[in-house]
Amino acid sequence: MSGVANPFRQAGAERIDPLLVALWITLIIVAVIWIAPFVFIIFTSLKSNATVMGTGAFSPPTSIAWENFANAWRRGDFGTTVVNSTIITVIKVPLGLMISAMAAYSLSRIQFWGHKVAFLAIVFGTMIPFQVMLAPIFKQVNSFGLINTYVGIILPYLAFGVPYQVFILHGFFKEVPKELSEAALIDGASHFTVFRRIFLPVSLPVLAALLILDFVATWNEFAMALVILQDPDRWTLPLGLMSFQSQFARDYGQLNAAIVMTVLPAAIVYLIFQRYFVSGLTSGAVKE
Amino acid sequence: MQSSRKLWCVALLGAVTMMGAGTASAQEVKVWTLTFANDSANKAWQKIVSDYEAANPGTTIRVENRGVDEHKSALRVAAGSDQGPDIYFMWAGLGLGGEFVKAGLSLPLDKYHQQYGWGDRFLPSAAAFADLYEGGKHGVPFTFKGEAIYYNKKLFEQAGITAEPTTYDELVAAADKLKAAGIPAITFGGTVNWHLMRLMDVLLETKCGAEKHDALMSMKADWTKEPCAADSFTELGKWTNQYVLSPFMGIDQAQSFNLFVANRAAMMLEGDWLVQQLSESANLDDFGMFPFPTNTNRLYGFAEYHYISTKSSNPDAAAKFLDYFTSTPVQQATLGLFSTTSVNKHVKYENLRPLDAKWVDIFNKYSAVYMNGDQAFPLDVTTEYFRVINEVASGSIDAATAASQMQSFIAKRG
Amino acid sequence: MVASPSTADRYDRTPAQTRRVKARLQDPAVQGLVLIAPAVLVYALFAFYPMLDVIQLSFMKWNGLTAAKQWVGLDNYRYVLGDDPVFWVAFRNTLIWTALSVIFPPLIGLGLALGLNQNIPGRSPLRALFYMPVIIAPIAVATMWRWMFDPFFGLFNSLLTTAGWTNLIQDWLGDRSVALYSVFIGYVWEVAGFSMVLFLAGLQGVSQTLIEAARIDGAGRFQVFRYVTLPALRPTITIVLILSLINSLKAFDIVYGMTGGGPAQSTQMLAMWAYTQAMQLGDFGRGSAISVVLLLMTVVIVVPYLRWTLRRQEA
Repeated sequence: MSGVANPFRQAGAERIDPLLVALWITLIIVAVIWIAPFVFIIFTSLKSNATVMGTGAFSPPTSIAWENFANAWRRGDFGTTVVNSTIITVIKVPLGLMISAMAAYSLSRIQFWGHKVAFLAIVFGTMIPFQVMLAPIFKQVNSFGLINTYVGIILPYLAFGVPYQVFILHGFFKEVPKELSEAALIDGASHFTVFRRIFLPVSLPVLAALLILDFVATWNEFAMALVILQDPDRWTLPLGLMSFQSQFARDYGQLNAAIVMTVLPAAIVYLIFQRYFVSGLTSGAVKE
Repeated sequence: MQSSRKLWCVALLGAVTMMGAGTASAQEVKVWTLTFANDSANKAWQKIVSDYEAANPGTTIRVENRGVDEHKSALRVAAGSDQGPDIYFMWAGLGLGGEFVKAGLSLPLDKYHQQYGWGDRFLPSAAAFADLYEGGKHGVPFTFKGEAIYYNKKLFEQAGITAEPTTYDELVAAADKLKAAGIPAITFGGTVNWHLMRLMDVLLETKCGAEKHDALMSMKADWTKEPCAADSFTELGKWTNQYVLSPFMGIDQAQSFNLFVANRAAMMLEGDWLVQQLSESANLDDFGMFPFPTNTNRLYGFAEYHYISTKSSNPDAAAKFLDYFTSTPVQQATLGLFSTTSVNKHVKYENLRPLDAKWVDIFNKYSAVYMNGDQAFPLDVTTEYFRVINEVASGSIDAATAASQMQSFIAKRG
Repeated sequence: MVASPSTADRYDRTPAQTRRVKARLQDPAVQGLVLIAPAVLVYALFAFYPMLDVIQLSFMKWNGLTAAKQWVGLDNYRYVLGDDPVFWVAFRNTLIWTALSVIFPPLIGLGLALGLNQNIPGRSPLRALFYMPVIIAPIAVATMWRWMFDPFFGLFNSLLTTAGWTNLIQDWLGDRSVALYSVFIGYVWEVAGFSMVLFLAGLQGVSQTLIEAARIDGAGRFQVFRYVTLPALRPTITIVLILSLINSLKAFDIVYGMTGGGPAQSTQMLAMWAYTQAMQLGDFGRGSAISVVLLLMTVVIVVPYLRWTLRRQEA
C-alpha cells in the first residue's frame, strides 16, 4: 500500500509536483502535533515527581523512574481492573456478535411477522446514545439485583451493541447471493444450518472486523460501567484510571504511568489488526 | 413484563452465583472507607485488621477504599440495593451523615453503646454527633478533625510578617504584605469544589458570627436578608482575586499541596491531617499553624464516624470490630496515624511533634465547632453552593447576585 | 425389565412433544423468530424498556433509594426548565458542542483524507497515526489532556513559557471562557481520525477515470475537486456528518474526565447533568426529565436520517 512508486508526482506525470511536496510537509507537521501528546505522556511517566516539577515538558527523563509503573500498578489496583476488563470483554464480545449475527440473518433472509418493525427498531437503536439515559439503565439493572456483577454490566453492553452490529451484518447478508442458500433450503436444511454452514463462513472477514472494533469499544467503555460497577473489586480499567486520577493526581509520574498502562492493550491490538479497523468501520457505513 | 422479569431474575441469579460474584463467607465484615492521603493511615488500617483477624479466627475484615466522590455515590447505590458494606465511613452531621441516616442506611446502635460501655469512652465533643439524628444513636466516632491555616515560616519572614495574625484584619494585612513581596498568600485547588469552599465557610463564620452562620447553613435565615452573606462573598472575591495563587480553578487540592510544599504559596487552609502529610514531603520545622481568626471562639472542624449499615448481615460482628477499633490500647497504638488526637478520651499524649502539640492545645481550647458547608447542607444545596462559590471566585458574578442565587435555589427546592 | 405404566406414559409423551416442537421448528417463520429472539430480548429489556421508563420517571418524585415514588405531574419539567440554574447552561453547551463536532472533526478528517489520498511517501504510517487516538479509551484521552492542560507543569503552558509567550498562558480547564473549548480540542484530537478513515474509504469510490478525463479536458485541481470528487463523496459526507452528530451526544467520558462539568458548571452537558441529578444528587425525577429533553432532541435529528436509511435499504 505504502510502497508508492515515484512519490510526489501526479499520476502519469514525470515531474515532481511542488504542491504535493508542500502538502507532504504540512501532513508531517500535523503528524508531529498528533504524536506530541503520546511523547509527553511517556516522558512524564518515566520521570520522578521532582523532575516533572523541575524540568521542561519535552526534556527526556535523565534517570528513568521505572518504579512509577510498579507503584501505579499497585496503588491503582491494576491487577484487579485488568482481570475484570478481560472477563467482561471476553464474554461480551463473542456473545454479542453471535446474537447479532443470528438476528441479522433472520432479518435479512426470513419473512416473519413483525420483521419490518424489528428492523426499524434496530436502526433507531443505532442512533440513540445510552449516555442520555444512564439512570434508568441503572434502575433496570438494579431491579434484577445485578449491580456490581459481571452479568449486570454485560447485559446492557449486549443491548446497546446489538443495533450497530445487526445493522452492518444485515447489509452484508443481503449482498450474499440468494442461490447460495436457496439450494440448501430446498434440500431440506433448516435456517439454523444455512446460517451456521453458509453464512457464518462467508462473513468471517466482517465478523473479524466487528470483533476487533467491539473489543476496543467494550474495553474502553466508561459511562455505563461508572453507574453499574460501584464496587472497586468489579471495576474495569477505565474506572480504575479515573479513580487513580482523582486520588493521586499529584503524583504526576505515576498518573502518566497509569495512563500508559491503560492505553497500551488497546494500542497493541490496534497496531496488530490495523486493517480490520478500517474495513470494520467502512463495510457497513460507507457502502455504495 | 413483570413475570418475564422474574424469570430472568432467577436465571441470572443462578449465573451470578456460578461466577462467584455474590458469595461471601459468613463472618466477613466489609468496611467501605476513603483512600487515605498519608500512607501511615493505610498501614495502620492494615495492622488493625490483621491483629483483629488473628485474635478472632473465622472473621475476616475486608476494607475497600475509594476517593471521596466515588465513596458517596457508591453508598447511595448501596442504600438502594441490597449490596453494600457492613460498616461505612461517613462524616457526622445533618448534611452528609444525616442523608444516609434518613435513607435508612444506618443502624441505630443504642444496644451496642450499652453493651460495650461506649458512653464512657469518647470525647464528649466527638460523641455528641451520634445524638443528632432521629431514632437513636447512629454511628461510632472515628476521628475528630480541626482545620486551620498552615503557613510557610520562611515566606512569612520574607514578607516581613513577625507574628501570627490573631484577627481577621491582621490576616488580611499579612496577605497584603505577602502580595507586596510578590508571594501568593494562599493556595487552593478549584477542581475539587470542597477545597475553595473552606475559604467561604471561614469567611461566613467571620462575617456573620456563630449564630447567623448556623442559621444560614441550616437554611433558616435568608441569604439575601442577612447582609453578612453578601459581605462574605465580597471577601471571597477579594481573596480569590488578589491573594490566592493563580491559576487555581484548573488544579485540584493535591496539586495545590504540591505547590505549597514547593514554596509557591505562603498559606494553606487545611486540617490537622496535614501535619503527617507535610512530614512525609517536607521539613516540619519550616511550617507553622494557627486557627483561622474568626473571633467567634469556635473551631473549624468536623467529626468522622463509622456507621453500621442496616443491610449488614452480621451487625454484631461489625460492632465488635468497631469496639476493638476504638478501644484504648488500639487507639493508643495508632495515635497520630489517622489523626492527631484520638476520639478516645483515655489516650495519653507524649512526645508530640510541635505542630501536633499545638493541635492538642487547640482541641482543648475550643469547646464549640462550626462545620464544613458540604457537611451541613443537603447534597443538592451543596452542589449549588459550590457553583456559586466558583462563580464568585472566577469573577463572573458579584456578591449580591451570589447571595440571591443561593437564596432562590433554597427557596425553590420546596 | 418391566416398565411401569407411568414411565411408559412419560416415554410416550416425550417423543410426541419433541416431534411437535420439531414440526414447529420446520416453519421458517418460527426459525426466524428463534434466531432473532436473544437479540430482541436483551435489547428490549436493557435498551428499549429504560427508554420508556425514563419518560415515566420524569413525572415522578423519586430519590432512587426508597420504594416510594410519587406522581408529581409536570413539576420536574417546571423545575428543570424554569428554576434549575444549570440546565440552560448545559443545554447551550450541548448545542455548541454538537455544532463544533459536526464542523471541525469532519473538516480536518476530510483534509487529512484528501492529503493521504495523494501520491506521497509514508501514507500508511501517517494514516495509522492519525487514527490511533480513536482507539484509546476516551477517559484516558481525558486524563492525558487534563495533564497537558495543567496550568503549572502541563505541556501547553510549558511550551508557551519556553516560547516566551507568557501572556498567552491560560488556566485552560479552570477559566470558564476557555474551558469548554479546551475540552473540545482534546475531543478533536480523539475523533478526527474517525472521519478521516470514512472519507478515505469514500475516496476509493471516486472514479479515477473520471478524474483523468476531467484533467484531460483541462480542469484544474480545484475544479476536479469541486465537480468530480465532491459530488462522488456526497453519501460519505452525509454519513460522516450523521455519525459525528450522534457521537457528539456520546461525549460524556471526555467532559466527565477533564472538568467534571466545572468550573462553576460552565462545561456542564445535558447527558452529564442528567447523570449528576439522578446518580449523584439522588433526584431521579429531575434527572429523567433532563434525559427526556435530550432524547427528544436526538429523535428530532434521527428521524429524517432513519427515513433516508430505510429508503437506501429498500433501493
